[in-house]
Order: sequence, then structure tokens, then C-alpha cells
Amino acid sequence: MVVKQETKSMTGNDAASYAALFAKPDVIAAYPITPQTTIVENLSRFVDEGKLEAEFVIVESEHSALAACMGAAWSGVRTFTATSSQGLLYMAENVFWTGYGRLPIIMPVVNRCLAPGWNIWPDFQDSMAFRDAGWIQMYTKNNQEVFDTTLQAFKISESKDIALPSMPCLDGFVISHTTGQVDLPDPEDAFEFVGPYDDPVIALDVENPWAYGSMTGPDQYSKHRRDLMVAMERAKKKIIDVHKEFEERFGRSYGNGLIEPYGDDEADLTLVTLGTIGDEAHEAIDRLKAEGHNVNALRVRTFRPFPVENIVEFAKKNHKLVVIDRAASFGHDGPLRIEVEAVLKRHNVDTSVSGKIMGLGGEDVPYSAIIDLAKKELKE
Amino acid sequence: MPVTQKDLMIKPKDALLKGHFACAGCGSALAFRHAIGSVADKAVLVVPASCASVYQGSGKGVAFNVPTINTAFAASDAVASGISRALKRKGKDDLKVIVWGGDGSAADIGIATEIGACDRQENILHVMYSNNVYGNTGGQRSGDTMIGARTATTPKGNTTPRKMVPFILIANNARYVATASAAFLEDFVEKFQKALSLEGFKFIQIDISCPPNWRADSAQSIEISRLGVQTGIWPLFEWDRETNIAVLSRPGKKYGDKANRKPISDWTSLQGRFRGITDKELIALEEDTERQWNFLRKFM
Ligand SMILES: Cc1ncc(C[n+]2csc(CCOP(=O)(O)OP(=O)(O)O)c2C)c(N)n1
Ligand code: SF4
Ligand SMILES: [Mg+2]
Repeated sequence: MVVKQETKSMTGNDAASYAALFAKPDVIAAYPITPQTTIVENLSRFVDEGKLEAEFVIVESEHSALAACMGAAWSGVRTFTATSSQGLLYMAENVFWTGYGRLPIIMPVVNRCLAPGWNIWPDFQDSMAFRDAGWIQMYTKNNQEVFDTTLQAFKISESKDIALPSMPCLDGFVISHTTGQVDLPDPEDAFEFVGPYDDPVIALDVENPWAYGSMTGPDQYSKHRRDLMVAMERAKKKIIDVHKEFEERFGRSYGNGLIEPYGDDEADLTLVTLGTIGDEAHEAIDRLKAEGHNVNALRVRTFRPFPVENIVEFAKKNHKLVVIDRAASFGHDGPLRIEVEAVLKRHNVDTSVSGKIMGLGGEDVPYSAIIDLAKKELKE
Repeated sequence: MPVTQKDLMIKPKDALLKGHFACAGCGSALAFRHAIGSVADKAVLVVPASCASVYQGSGKGVAFNVPTINTAFAASDAVASGISRALKRKGKDDLKVIVWGGDGSAADIGIATEIGACDRQENILHVMYSNNVYGNTGGQRSGDTMIGARTATTPKGNTTPRKMVPFILIANNARYVATASAAFLEDFVEKFQKALSLEGFKFIQIDISCPPNWRADSAQSIEISRLGVQTGIWPLFEWDRETNIAVLSRPGKKYGDKANRKPISDWTSLQGRFRGITDKELIALEEDTERQWNFLRKFM
């Protein structure tokens, strides 16, 4: 039975903040950076007003923001932070330390491009630079999904069989600062869904002392990394399960939680996207279909772990995938395209793949531009 | 209550077990054993990249007998902040969160993190053991390297003065700041215990000998540290925010008066890192030493 919810209007950053508020983290540490800042401000207000009983660490940098969350996570409590762009880069060594250390920290990344030049608008270059850091990455398409994904992230990451940090990603400004409709559950219902973090994977213990992260030889080291690979694989099912449980309780879903197809199962051309461009693609698809074109779309919601099986299965029924990337691997291509192409090749799927890098530095990607791209690709 | 030699012998728990990787004569491992051993059942350690991340041992043979979190070079005071906050949430704030790291993290790469934690008055103790060099990476200059010292990155002798980290933390309103020496362990453990009894950010800088990087005889490790105090190179004091007064510590008290000090060359001559030191460099080292004392006197 779907629980009662209240429709509110709020920004994407508000939605992330409410998800954190409802999950009741014990320790929050964050540092301001546009366009993430209002998440930190909201949370410090919640703590100040007594809405949230948590330790809020007003750190002097992002490096320390994540480090403080790491210390808290090692102590076995629920932790939350958020960042963006240069802030994410500044915490870099700790981002890897968190992922490779299997600390279930939840950190929304409000996607913003990287300097130079100074530009606060969205692209995915920041989070894409950390796809190998051992974090679950989920890209959202609207404010509602930010709330839903952030709440789900706590439950996924903190599962004992997963123990991986999560990075819900939201496009800067397009989501973070744009007001939209969000159905908010009752805080108690939301907390009941997440559950308390009372059986942590890791919690330092003076009765039973251990050292964490001491020198490790190649054998043990590679075993740890293999474990991480296996945990990522397990996370696919966990994401689907948690997403399903969420749907049963709150009545909302995004494909199966890993990928979200749109339109018919089979088409002449498929637009493959991440984030808000996925939402824009729906408009493009509707209009193209009205003109008689046979097109559909696939939004990759979970980028890490990469939903290999689902993409393969989807691609088998389709003929031409056109991948829109909002980031670039300089010297190669768009990261999403590179991965989609590799996966199909490895599974002997001969669906053709092409793509385009669009929307860097906040360059607008309206449905009209997507329609133009699709029409051009349909001709080729 | 002053700590006596006898107290030091009867440790509640041995904090440094067999199988550690410290060099012979390492003053840091010695200081660790005594200080951490005195609170072992209550200590939670945070260790930045340093010799301590190596000498703790490896794999299942880790020799630190207390919960130990290894962190990135610049991250330890922030990680310690997070632990301290989490313990508070869990009602376990009787535990003592201690950063045990070198001069590289405390004086250089981690100094912003450390001042940040001090500024927030996090309830942690940072022990900076100083061998005046990046030991872990093979002996390069740090911000706490003495003038005239030949290091891997200053082969002709270091020319810049020491950073005086304790005073940086005094200026940032730490709760308690002290210096100590591995040659006077009773004094160190007493300060260590006192720091742990106080709420807020505490800092102790301890001088430890590092035979390989100082190119010194490991059998003279303690003797060199003792000379560091007796020559005035290493002032021993403690400062408390409540009084805003720096008090010279018993073992080093008389060296506040220059007339009582041994010549600095007694100390430099036992260390290969000062081989070839010129008279000019020696004078500069003396001047830098005096600069520290003059600074200290402002708080006395
Ligand atoms: C970000 C980063 N830069 C450089 C290093 C390499 N590194 C490890 S320990 C160390 C020097 C440590 O010196 P110090 O803090 O004085 O401790 P000691 O080794 O002397 O005990 C360096 C440069 C590192 N681990 N991380
Ligand atoms: S290099 Fe120096 S500080 Fe490091 S373990 Fe050896 S003696 Fe101790
Ligand atoms: Mg050092």
C-alpha cells in the first residue's frame, strides 16, 4: 500500500536536503560551493532549529568535509555530505579512500563543469572523473528523483553486503536551483524505509582493537579490490530491490532502478542519456513520434555499477543507439558512449552506436537540439 | 600527580607489540609506547602518512594495540574530528581521540586541516613527533627542518627558519599546547595525560631522534634528544589557554637562561646531517633558536 504523501514545491537541493533530514544522519560535514551551497545551508538550519539531531562539522575545506565523514563512518554512524565541481576535485584522495575503504557515506554531487574558465553551469565532468573511485553513482532527471534516489542511497550503501558509498548526481541549476514538484512522504515513513544504521559494517572498538589501512601487500590488496568489484556487482541487485521496495511503499519508480527506457521496446533509433537530458529526450521522442519516426530512449540511471546486462538486453531489440554525453574523455570520446559501445562489442550485439558530446559548461540542450541530432542520425 | 619512572614501567597495556618496523633508536616509537600505553584501553588513534604508518607494522601483524585509523597525509585532524563527533553522538566521549603524526603533516601539508580542527575546538589531541624531516619518503626537508641541516632536498644545508607550529596553534586558541622530548619521557607522559584530561583541541610537539635521517648512532638517540634540550635547541614548555601563560617544564627550565646552555655544536656534532655546517650556518641556527625563545618569553 502506497503511503500518504504531501506535494510540495522545492528546488532539487531542497529535495536532497529533505532526504538527508528524513534519514537522520548522525554526522554531517560539508563546505559551500555553488551550486551545492544551499544543501549545506538547509542542513545547518535543520540542525540549528532542532529538526535534526546531528553533529554538524563546519569544516575549512572539502578535503576535511569528506575526511570528517570518514572518521564518523569508521565510528559506525550514519553520515552525509554534499559537494560539486572544484569541491569534489579538492577532496579527491579522500573520495578514493572512502570508496576503497568501503565507507557507506552518502554524498550528492551537484554536477558543475570544471575550471578553467570559471563557470558554474552543469556538465558531468566532475563526477565522471570519479567513476573509478568505488562509489555507486546514480544520475537523476528531476527534483523528485533527487529526493527518492538520495533516500534509497542510504539503504543501498549501508547494507552489510554492499558497504559502498553513494553519489547521487543532480545537474547544477537545472535541478539544483529550479523549483519543481516533489511529493514528500511523512518523515517517519521515510525513516522507516531507510531504517536505523544499528549494525554497521565498520565501527572502531577499544575492546577489540584493529588497525585500518595499514601497509598491505599485493596479495591482500588485490583481494580487497576484487571484493570491491564483487560488491559492486551485488549492488546491481540491491539497487533493483531497494528501488522496488521504494515503489511499493511510495508509488514511484524509474525503470528498474538501473536503467529507465522510454517509449516502445523496439525502435529504429534510441537516444541514450544521463541526467536531465534524459527528461528533455522524452519531449524530443514524443515530437519525433508525432512526425512518424520510430524512436525511443534509454536513460542510464545507475552509471556505477554499470548496468551491463540491462543495456545489452535493451540494445538487442534496437537498431541504432545515439549516446548523448555531457562530459568528455579527452583523447577518446564521451564516457557513456565509450562504455555502451564496449559493452555491446563484448556481448556480440551488433546494434550500431554513435554519439555526440553536448551541453558542456551548461550549454543548453533543448529538445529541439536533440530532435536535430536524431533526424541527422536517422538519415545516416 | 607527576609521573614517575616507576609508573612508566608498569603500563596498563602495552600499546606497541612485537613486530613493529621502527628503526633501531627511533624516538617516535619509544614515545608512542609510553604515551599511548598510558591510555591504551581508552585511545583511538588516527595516523596520517608518516613513519608511524609504516612502523605500526603490516597486515595481521600490526603492532599498534589500539584501534588505529590510517588516513591520507593531510586528512588526520579532520578524520579525528569526525570520530570525536561520532563518539559524542554514541555517548562514548570518554574515549580519547589522538592524532599521532609527523612534522610533515603537522607543519606542512596538513596544517590547514589542523588549524581547522583547532578553530572548531574539536575534542582531540594532536601529537606531532618531529624528526625535522620527511622520514617516510627518505629524508627530505620539512617546514620544521633546522637551519643548516643537510637533507635529501637541501643537500647544501637548509636555509629557512622553523615554522614554530606550537605558536601557530597558540595563536589559533588551542586549549593546551606543549613541547616535549623523547629524552624526558616522564615529562612527556605527564603532559600527554594532562592534555587528555582537558576538553578541546590539544597539541604536543615532541622532539624525537631519527638515527637514519640524522645520520646518527642509534645508541645515542636519547643522548642527542637530551642535548637538544640542554643546548636550548628544544625549549620545553606548556601553555594553557585558561592562563595564557607558557611555563617552562622542569627538565628544561634552566636552559631558558642562555648562560646555562651547552654549545649547539655539542648537539650538531653527533649528527651527520650537520657535517660540513659552516660557522655562518651555525650562527644562523643559534639565531633561529633565540628567535623561538624570544617568542616564547612573550607568553611567560
Ligand atoms: C598527498 C601526499 N603527498 C605525499 C605523500 C608522500 N609522503 C608520505 S609520508 C611523507 C612524509 C612524512 O613526513 P613526516 O610527516 O615528517 O613524518 P615522518 O615520515 O618523518 O615520520 C610524504 C611526503 C603522501 N602520502 N600523500
Ligand atoms: S626513519 Fe626515523 S622516525 Fe622513521 S622510523 Fe626510522 S628512526 Fe623512526
Ligand atoms: Mg618527520
